[in-house]
Amino acid sequence: MHIAQDPLSVEVTLPREDVALLTVEGYLDVDTATEFQHHLANQLHHGRRHFLLDLTAVPFMDSSGMNIILRVYQEARDLPGSVHIISPAPAVRRILDLTGVSITVPVSESVEEALERVDGLAKAPEAEPES
Amino acid sequence: MSIEDQANVPLPEHPQVALPAGVSADSPVGRLAATVDRLSREVRTAQAEAEGRALIELAKGILVERLGCGPTQAARQLAELTEQAGTTQLEFAVEVINQAARDRMSEVTNAFLAATRAAEEAAAETAAVRLRAAESGALAADDTQAVAESLLEQALRPLGAVAVAIWAAGADGSLTLTGSAGFSPAEAARWHYVPPDVATVARCALTERDGLWIMSTDDRGLPSVGRHHYPDGGRAAVPAGTGGRVYGVLEIAWPTPMPEQPPQIVRQVEALAELCAHTLETYTPPGNPSHESRAMPDASELMDLADGLYDPALVLVPHLDTSGNLLDFRIQHVNSRFLDPAGRPRAMISGSLLLEAYPMAAGDSELFQRIERVYATGEPFRARRMNLTALVDQVPLAALADISVSRHGDGILFIWRIEDETARLASLLQHAQRLGRIGGFEENLLTGEITWNGQLFDLYGRPETSPPVPLEELPAHAHPDDAVTIGRFLRTLLHRRRPASAAFRLQRPDGVTRHIRVVAEPVLDTDGRLLTTRGAYQDISAQHWTEVALAATRDQLAHTEQHASERDRLALQLQRAIMPPTQAPLQVPDLDVAVRYRPAEAEQLVGGDWYDAVVLPSRLVLLCVGDVAGHGIEAATSMVVLRNALRGLAVTGAGPGQLLSWLNIVAHHLTGAVTATAVCALYDPDSRTLRWARAGHLPPVLVRGSDAAPLPLVRGLLLGAVPEASYEEAEVQLAPEDNLLMYTDGLIERRDRTVEESLTHLLSTAADAPGTLDQRLDRLLTYSRSDTDDDTCIVGIRVG
Repeated sequence: MHIAQDPLSVEVTLPREDVALLTVEGYLDVDTATEFQHHLANQLHHGRRHFLLDLTAVPFMDSSGMNIILRVYQEARDLPGSVHIISPAPAVRRILDLTGVSITVPVSESVEEALERVDGLAKAPEAEPES
Repeated sequence: MSIEDQANVPLPEHPQVALPAGVSADSPVGRLAATVDRLSREVRTAQAEAEGRALIELAKGILVERLGCGPTQAARQLAELTEQAGTTQLEFAVEVINQAARDRMSEVTNAFLAATRAAEEAAAETAAVRLRAAESGALAADDTQAVAESLLEQALRPLGAVAVAIWAAGADGSLTLTGSAGFSPAEAARWHYVPPDVATVARCALTERDGLWIMSTDDRGLPSVGRHHYPDGGRAAVPAGTGGRVYGVLEIAWPTPMPEQPPQIVRQVEALAELCAHTLETYTPPGNPSHESRAMPDASELMDLADGLYDPALVLVPHLDTSGNLLDFRIQHVNSRFLDPAGRPRAMISGSLLLEAYPMAAGDSELFQRIERVYATGEPFRARRMNLTALVDQVPLAALADISVSRHGDGILFIWRIEDETARLASLLQHAQRLGRIGGFEENLLTGEITWNGQLFDLYGRPETSPPVPLEELPAHAHPDDAVTIGRFLRTLLHRRRPASAAFRLQRPDGVTRHIRVVAEPVLDTDGRLLTTRGAYQDISAQHWTEVALAATRDQLAHTEQHASERDRLALQLQRAIMPPTQAPLQVPDLDVAVRYRPAEAEQLVGGDWYDAVVLPSRLVLLCVGDVAGHGIEAATSMVVLRNALRGLAVTGAGPGQLLSWLNIVAHHLTGAVTATAVCALYDPDSRTLRWARAGHLPPVLVRGSDAAPLPLVRGLLLGAVPEASYEEAEVQLAPEDNLLMYTDGLIERRDRTVEESLTHLLSTAADAPGTLDQRLDRLLTYSRSDTDDDTCIVGIRVG
């Protein structure tokens, strides 16, 4: 029922061979988190190391959505790789700050900015990951 | 014995003959008129005397019968008794008849006597005599015309009526004037016959089957005999019937408007109408052989007629109670086509009462009322597609039927035809067999002849031209494993000669296996020898697999459900055990501490919220709320682990930031990627300072005076997301009367608004709440705008 009301749409593009850009549209909550996780797991399986999550069109995110982001963050960190959140709506941004996720997972204003950060990491692979 | 001096017959008041103006009484015409008048008075007196004498003779007869004496002795007895009673012999005779009769007439006369006794004894006495005299006259009269005259003179003139008409009702709805008095002969001749469907006063009474009392004929505008003579006169028309059968109508005319009549008069007239019925009962319209004969035809003729019909038919005869009222109809006969809708044998229906056999006839279909009406009026009733309801095993079943009800003599012939019943049933059966995948068979064991229907050839996967398979060869067509089952089936049917059934796998020539159920019954001859077997095969393959699948699913579902509910219950027990909804107050000087825990409404939503408020050995107060993501037993167990871990860690004396750092390690190493948020504070009662840190949790709210504001959002990642994390600490100086609230997001979480908006609402609620800390917390729970049915924790302190 919920899915019918607020379907989650996830569009995946590949700006680089190992970079997946997931553009998410809809509520990221307990009903849709699993679907989102499947998309991420699929990209991990295909060898992507960097995950750009465009949350422009996500009006609401709860702890389920947050946990998916944290999980892919941990998986990517072990590769090593990275996760970037792109232009979250104010409500989502607030949640990210509240839970401290934005401390750990960098938030970018645009895809270009996120890609620059990915490239920066690639140029300096010896750089310490954030703690 | 002269009647003249014994019988004081009350003669109706009769006006002197009015002579036309200018005619002298001495003129020849005047003398002639006077003579005519005298003669007619003499005739009337003679008539009255004759009727009076008839009554006295009747009373004598009653005395002969009662006293067992001869007529002479009875006459003497009557004279003596009359003398003792001090009344006239005629009145006494009426008394004797009333005593003996105890009929409706007695009832009416008694009621009349009682009603008028107070008024004038003599008048009442004469009324009684009047009615009896009318009855006697009516019974003595050999035709309806004489009855009409007798009624008018004896009974109706005293009531002020001037004319009377007696109509015989024809079966076609027509009315024939069989007798009248008081109307001119020409008027009576004009009205000798009223065709069917002409609404006259009498016709209306017949249609209503109830007395019609009209104050003034012109008011109703209904035509009737003599209307032009008495245009504004009153009228009464009363159906004349006995034993539920209406034979005609008694119509009475008054010269002037008639006020509403008292019940006694109405009953008198009804009694008179019943008198008319007795004479009409034997009335046969003269010279018109096409009219129905009222002579009772032989009942057996009607039964023969019923037997000759190709539709179901019943012959009904009226069933009367002791006083002659129609109660019901007895089913005299059912014809050979008759099939009881409820499946009862024909003999059980024949002879029973209609309403007992078919109580639904009195229901909405009004079938009984229709039959009653046909019997009363003789007008046949025919209807197409009438809805009939029969009770079959207390279940009302409706059927559409064409109905014909007609009266023949004293009997009713009731015929019906269920619409295309045979065709309908055959097609129904055909569809049922096709849909149910049922194949029928019959085997004659003497001739070896086997009959299959088309569906059975389909089931066997054989062409309809191939020979059918005998039942005994069934094992050869079945799965070998089913041999025992089929053997038992055949033994029950053929050897023990009892109905049997079996389920087996049919192996068709095309290699397909079908699950089949076969049911069969033996047909025995009178010597108990087996003649025929018949029965049906049903393909239950679909049903079979559905059942197998259903059973498996059901088991699995039951198991899962049980498992799930056990887990939910366990989680709930766990949480309740660890965190009672309220907690005993802490004994801390100058500090009130209150906690609230509201569990989720649904059992399966038991969450991972926790709170803690405990005085540490350092005399610092540990305050904490936390929230493990998710619901159910995993969340609840993680909550227990984190809460106890924090309590243990706090004893080390470390600050809140360090405590959360350690707690993060604990959470990170819990199985199942658990994350949690928490806020942790240490309050120093001596300095009234609060040091606190948060791990992804909403910061505490400080309520000071009428202001409520959250503490700053210090850095701190939620617990368990990363192996190592550090947490920023903050310190706040509290003042007396300050309130500090720590809560989980069950209090504010709403899908349709931002955390800010929810928080604003919470802050205003928190600031508005005066009174004690407990009241403030209760108010927060009560006015929470949360819509997620999540569990909720609040810890509050109030500085003293």
